[in-house]
Amino acid sequence: MGERKISRVTVEVTVNGRRQSAELEPRVTLADFLRVELGLTGTHLGCEHGVCGACTVLLDGRAVRSCIMLAVQATGHEVTTIEALANEGELHPLQQAFVDKHGLQCGFCTPGFIMAAAELLERDPDPSEQALLETLGGQVCRCTGYEAIIESVRDAAEKLRQRGVGPLGLLAAALEKKAAPSGNGGGE
Amino acid sequence: MKPPAFEYAAPASVAEAVALLDERGFDAKVLAGGQSLMALLNMRLARPELLVDIARVPGLDSIEISGGCLGVGAMVRQRSLEFFPGLADSHPLLLAGLRHVAHPQNRNQGTVCGSLAHADPAAELPALAVAAGAELVIEGPDGKRSESAEDFFITYLTTTLEPAELLVEARFPLLPEGSGWSVQEVTRRHGDFALAGAVVTMRIADARVADPHVVAFGVGAVPLRCTAAEQALAGAEPGPAAWKEAGALVSEAVEDPLDDVHASASQRRSVAGVMASRAMEEAAARA
Amino acid sequence: MSSRIPNSLEELPVSEIRWIGKGVERLEDPSLVTGRTEFIDNVVLPGMLHCAILRSTYAHARIVSIDSSAAEEMEGVYAVITGRDAARLTNPATTAPEGWGAYCLAHEKTRFVGEPMVAVAATSRYLAEDALELIIVEYEELPVVANAQAALAADAALLFEEHGSNVMLQRKFTWGEVDSAFDQADLVVSDDYRWNRLGANPMETFGCVVDWNPADDMLTCRGSFQSQSYMGLARSLVLGLPSNQVRMISHPHGGSFGGKGGFRGVDICALLSKAASGRPVKWIEDRLEYLLAGAGQSWDREYTLQLALKKDGTVTGLRVKLLDDMGGTAEAFGAVSAAKPLAAFTGCYAIQAAEYDLTLVATNKVPQSPYRGMGPPPHNWVLEQTMDKAARELGLDPAEIRRRNYIPADAFPYTIASGNEYDSGNYEAALDALLDMADYQKLCAERDSAQAEGRLLGLGLVNTIEPGVFDWNAYAIVGLESTGVPEGITVAIDVMGRITARLGFSLEGQGQYTLVAQVLADYFAVTPADVSIVYQDSLSAPPHFGPGGSRLGVAITGAALGAAHLLERKLARVAAVLLQCGPDDVELMDGFLRVRAMPEAKMHFAEVAGAMLARSDLLPEDIDPQPQATYVWTAPGRTPADEQGRAKSYLTAANACHLVKVEVDPDTGTVDILGYWLVDDCGTRLNPVTVEGQTMGGIAQGVGAALLEEYVYDESAQPLTSSFMDYLLPSVYEVPRVEKKALTTPSPFTPLGAKGCGEGAMHTTPAAIMCAINDALSPLGLSAREVPASPRRLWKLLHENAD
Ligand code: FES
Ligand code: FES
Repeated sequence: MGERKISRVTVEVTVNGRRQSAELEPRVTLADFLRVELGLTGTHLGCEHGVCGACTVLLDGRAVRSCIMLAVQATGHEVTTIEALANEGELHPLQQAFVDKHGLQCGFCTPGFIMAAAELLERDPDPSEQALLETLGGQVCRCTGYEAIIESVRDAAEKLRQRGVGPLGLLAAALEKKAAPSGNGGGE
Repeated sequence: MKPPAFEYAAPASVAEAVALLDERGFDAKVLAGGQSLMALLNMRLARPELLVDIARVPGLDSIEISGGCLGVGAMVRQRSLEFFPGLADSHPLLLAGLRHVAHPQNRNQGTVCGSLAHADPAAELPALAVAAGAELVIEGPDGKRSESAEDFFITYLTTTLEPAELLVEARFPLLPEGSGWSVQEVTRRHGDFALAGAVVTMRIADARVADPHVVAFGVGAVPLRCTAAEQALAGAEPGPAAWKEAGALVSEAVEDPLDDVHASASQRRSVAGVMASRAMEEAAARA
Repeated sequence: MSSRIPNSLEELPVSEIRWIGKGVERLEDPSLVTGRTEFIDNVVLPGMLHCAILRSTYAHARIVSIDSSAAEEMEGVYAVITGRDAARLTNPATTAPEGWGAYCLAHEKTRFVGEPMVAVAATSRYLAEDALELIIVEYEELPVVANAQAALAADAALLFEEHGSNVMLQRKFTWGEVDSAFDQADLVVSDDYRWNRLGANPMETFGCVVDWNPADDMLTCRGSFQSQSYMGLARSLVLGLPSNQVRMISHPHGGSFGGKGGFRGVDICALLSKAASGRPVKWIEDRLEYLLAGAGQSWDREYTLQLALKKDGTVTGLRVKLLDDMGGTAEAFGAVSAAKPLAAFTGCYAIQAAEYDLTLVATNKVPQSPYRGMGPPPHNWVLEQTMDKAARELGLDPAEIRRRNYIPADAFPYTIASGNEYDSGNYEAALDALLDMADYQKLCAERDSAQAEGRLLGLGLVNTIEPGVFDWNAYAIVGLESTGVPEGITVAIDVMGRITARLGFSLEGQGQYTLVAQVLADYFAVTPADVSIVYQDSLSAPPHFGPGGSRLGVAITGAALGAAHLLERKLARVAAVLLQCGPDDVELMDGFLRVRAMPEAKMHFAEVAGAMLARSDLLPEDIDPQPQATYVWTAPGRTPADEQGRAKSYLTAANACHLVKVEVDPDTGTVDILGYWLVDDCGTRLNPVTVEGQTMGGIAQGVGAALLEEYVYDESAQPLTSSFMDYLLPSVYEVPRVEKKALTTPSPFTPLGAKGCGEGAMHTTPAAIMCAINDALSPLGLSAREVPASPRRLWKLLHENAD
């Protein structure tokens, strides 16, 4: 086997509202970039071949498998991970619903389920059974048998509807608050 | 499960992409949505020296209806097409078929043209393309050419694409007025590749089947256009007898189907006929 | 004051139970839902290297040579080791049965595809995998033993030449007058069955980070260890280190289900760390490794089952013959799965005579590991399906034949033929509740009319026992004779009056930390949020085993109650000094130590603890001034196995009754689950929602077992199902919604009357679905006797003569 040149690329991506850039080998997956380079270890790896959904993150608001995507493919895009959801210690309604409805056991699959559900509820605040199944069908959980997960997402949907906001809308608001310049607001 | 080392290029135009492909030949591989390629890379079953990422080429992500066709650019994500306004009216067959493709989380990233170029015979999109009579627009060092989907697929994971060629657009003719359509498949689990499936379109004119298209998938090296079944259907009186007879012809047309852990060869042959019959029934009901 | 551990909720020192038995929110969840839980792959240590493993591509081959020189020279590679290093520095794995172990890297020959051959430590996993591609192994193929039958052939190649045979264990156990039961039977019903390999597949694979400090020869292993202490002892034997120089640090797991083995991975990383001058080495088993050769393959069985019956449907004898394909070695303790059925051999039935003819053989497949249920699920299936067959032949309803054979509710504790004692139960009540809830009569009518129209619609009605709280003696017949499995906990009160519990297992999903908090919160009249649970490593924690064999909920409840009780005694002594009365005059009630005769004279336990921590100088010399206590709970009354393997082994016997409605599509061979009902009884439910979670999870895995999951090997023992595209886990579409009801028959033997329930519906669901499929097929005179009932198999059954 011949020598392989190790080339490098620059990855520039907004992750959870923060601009990140890194020099990487092009082969580094988005999942490894998030986990290893950025230390965002809430995105899990369950299969690394695109089947289980443990690695699901949002790319410009769409749920994708970060294990079968290169970090460099995300250049210029916005990535949202599970770490962006809770706001100053307050769980996101989706997270709270999983707690309330016991939608998790070991919790390894949970970040992926929550991110996938976030996309769904953003688009469809009152999803039909069919729509729920379609989204959750792309995520594997080995512990719960799914019933409680369906209930969790239903519950989150209801709570979000009551608040009149989508899961990502809520997030955007929180990120804006975090990103707002601090220290000079006293005079307002 | 980490990919082997490769170089990466993100050309800014089709011409640049084609030039890169031309220069590196078989050592280069096109990266679009990557839903099949990346898994193969992680398993180190594919070993390109160069990945040519076409996502940065402007204009490849357009969907448009023109000249009686729905044109789908090389970088159009399956999900974007699914959400294309009015698709349920303009091309309900494609919409129905797309919903069988893996899961939303894959379709968000996977492209329509990527699936066609990957040419997995158990995938839905190649079969949809053949059934819909799609034309594939291909660009290479010598310029553009266009080819029917039926001619495009050669065998398992192999198409007529030369190493230096890029599939830039798939053009799906809109279904003729009054067409019925159906996609039927058997999978182990929802979203899995089909053990066997069928795509059928037809019209009913004067209480007779007209203009039938019957394609089976998951049963051979390429999507199988079943002309014998189409001939039997054309002019037939719609009904269980016709569907059964044409379904049997589909089974007969299946040569050397895959035999694997999920289904035997004879099962695939038989189920293809059953799926075709069920698809005919549904298509006729919609016509 | 009572001087023993409370055995019922009434005995707890509170006037109102607020937490136990309630669906309490889990303490572990906030960290999990925010992605903050420290799974092993999150761990990064200074100087850490990454291991990748080159695996055998042959099922059976002699290793001629290994050339790893190019890999060794690659930049970023710090160590490369082979079987030769393993043979030089380590011992082969200890096994049950004994003597069927191998080194962590194949030495001289390889026995299965995927066996570790060479390992590399490099600065990244990417580079480590690159280095593997530079290694050249030359093999000389040996004849392959591809399945259990082949292993028994007279001219079969031998996996372990020194044994002269591939038979790991062959024994026949006879309990009661079996021959005469069959001689005198009115009817003998018999069938052959095949259960194919499947396995745990937790969403997180196994992982570890190991460093072997050359300065003090201390081995520190971090990882997703199901039982850190046992894992640590085994490492000390394999690596030749004193047991107190092996420190195991377990991280929360992304599921386990018995499938978190990875023994070899730890040993390999230890050797790599040693070779790399003590740098920590991380190995995360990837999913392909898991599917190819991980600790996730179980139960590869051929069964013959015979029932002897009287005309009225009474079963008088049971014969089970099992041939189990254990794979290339016995290193992963898969053999316990063949022994565990002894704990519930005759199911819910009072069958007095039984026989178990057991053969375990070595083949060129992956060594078997434990999986949820540990062996009874296939046993239950063959028993229940044969019960249905008998019912059909006798013209009895499946409910009726079961009812006629139940152990009566007044017969408990009841010793079954194979020696185990069931603690309590009311099987008929569960059956009646189920038939009532599901409207069984109506379902039967619906089934009959559908079948009359030619539809393949069927019902499966099944009941099983889930043995709970294991003891080693249950596995004595495969060489693990020992009695007693400890679980310990230390409960401490700090100067602010807060409670901390320290224990020796990490989380894997069943919510046991929450359970401990519930118990302590009720004991001391605080809230679960006032209790912190702290995990301790194998050298710091009180004696422990951790989860396994449906034991931990019961065991940790016993430990927590015991420690709380000891602490209460200690606090009472101090309070007596402070309140100036005799220690026996003081009792704990609602968080206060009070004088029995004068309840208004009282001190909060926090005050007493504060006095102990701050002013030990005021206490009598013989009082231990630490406000903490440790208790180690072990299942009481377990007995060693006799020569026929009979023992009081598992402490509890939960029971469940499931009913499933399915329809088979004759054209495609696919199965739809149209309805699912169940009633179960696992005694007192300490946290009902977590119990229900275990049940639902077990159903999902049962659906997988019955319809989807299978490790397929070809005739040369090459695996054909090595990705999640081929090994199929159930998704939300395949798992039915379930109507459930719980009955409560407390265990007289456990703290608070709870029974082991973690393995749950896995015991029952595969049997229920298979019985339903067979009911659907019965009008055609067909029977499905192979699991999983995949479309491929069912289609073949339905169309055998089609072409
Ligand atoms: S880890 Fe990405 S889909 Fe399984
Ligand atoms: S909670 Fe364990 S995999 Fe879903």
